[in-house]
Amino acid sequence: MINLIRRDLIIQKFQLYVFIPCILFFIFFGSHLSAFFIFVFAGFFIPINAYSYDEKAETNILLNSLPYTRTQIIASRYIGAIFYMTVSIGIAVLLFYVFNRPFTWADIAIGVGITLTMFAFAFPLFYLLKPGHIGTAVTIGFILLVILMGPVITFFEEYLTPAVNFLSSVSTSLLYLSSVGVITVLYAASWLISQVIYQRKAF
Amino acid sequence: MENIVEFKNVTKRFKDFSLENFNLQIKQGYVTGFVGANGAGKSTTMKLMMNLLQADEGEVKIFGMDYAGNEKEIKERMGFVYDSNVFYESLNLKDIRRIVAPAYKNWNDKTFYNYIKIFELPLNKAIKTFSKGMQMKASMAMALSHDAEFIMMDEPTAGLDPVFRRELLDILQELMEDGKRTLFFSTHITSDLERIADYITFIQKGRLLFNDSKEDVQDRYALVKGSTDILNRETEELFIKVERSSYGFQALTNDAREIKALLGDRVMIEEATLEDIMFYAKGAKKQHV
Repeated sequence: MINLIRRDLIIQKFQLYVFIPCILFFIFFGSHLSAFFIFVFAGFFIPINAYSYDEKAETNILLNSLPYTRTQIIASRYIGAIFYMTVSIGIAVLLFYVFNRPFTWADIAIGVGITLTMFAFAFPLFYLLKPGHIGTAVTIGFILLVILMGPVITFFEEYLTPAVNFLSSVSTSLLYLSSVGVITVLYAASWLISQVIYQRKAF
Repeated sequence: MENIVEFKNVTKRFKDFSLENFNLQIKQGYVTGFVGANGAGKSTTMKLMMNLLQADEGEVKIFGMDYAGNEKEIKERMGFVYDSNVFYESLNLKDIRRIVAPAYKNWNDKTFYNYIKIFELPLNKAIKTFSKGMQMKASMAMALSHDAEFIMMDEPTAGLDPVFRRELLDILQELMEDGKRTLFFSTHITSDLERIADYITFIQKGRLLFNDSKEDVQDRYALVKGSTDILNRETEELFIKVERSSYGFQALTNDAREIKALLGDRVMIEEATLEDIMFYAKGAKKQHV
């Protein structure tokens, strides 16, 4: 299993060299971007990139011909995503700290939450999609997310003041706890769905 | 004699193709050649063997085990070579070894680097720069470096130059010497089979035509030539396919002995090559070869 997770690093050696400059770019030139957004980008980068390598039918033939079970292949994807997200956001936090860009614990928490939610939706979808469409889906998804995020937030702020008031009236710890709960359930459900889809897949 | 692979009444249906009621036994310790036209079902059979596809009906057993619950153990003991490259194209062999090697308990680096040397493969060049033959050699090196008991290869000799093809067949033959290994490979180059195969499995349009020892096949099948006067409804029944020309007829039989007994001196009986069998069986009307 660890070998399967380690594989993600081997296959994207070159992309890793791009990773840190990208984060630095955001830190220096993305001052208008919220810190949490950069954390999302950092956390999303490696697992999704690794995934785009795995979309090929040949890769699936290879993995499934090696002594691994399909359950292990899926598990390595979900566990690996958490692992790489943690490390990547860790690196991003370190860079923030080194270059004196302000951030809060809430930024990290929101970044992790959004990243995990995106994984939860993206992975099963990718296993469903035909090979070759995933790269396009990721790009479109990411662009949409960037475009929509601003208006959505403004919308919430402007028109859903009661909801916001309610949320801010709830104690922060309760809010965080329930978010953790919801995200955990989402991630677990997503894992289960991917598992079922992948088990039936023919290569 | 023990069977390494056993297919019992396996059926796998696709939209435009199906493998029907397929029964196959691959004998331990021997080389079995797998022949059939393009689209006959060879790759489907091999994918069923690797559990890349699951049968709709029937059972597939490898080393006497079902895939359910034994997947890792089975694959640990198997080596595979596919007809197209399955390794990450942008990686070099060193990196691919770093991915493949830790997957196997019995991986042997010494053996691997030895094959890399014999096959004259570069370790630091991306797979995508490899020729078809080099890609094949790379898969072969991976398949042979973990002491697999059963090695399955989909057209391993395709794309190889004739000199290396011979060398490869020699390497495979050497591998077989200790009698522990079993080799199953598909090919269109029938001379490869005539060189190293002990058993021949012939598939056509998703059906198994035969799965016999090479001697058996050579004994039973024959090309029969003679004057068209001999042909009538009864005698034609003796043949798998008859071709007529102005000089006479030429036909394939799977019962050379019977033809000899019945028609004797009135016809010429010649040994049929595997290619002859493939060619005639393809156009045959009746399929109970």
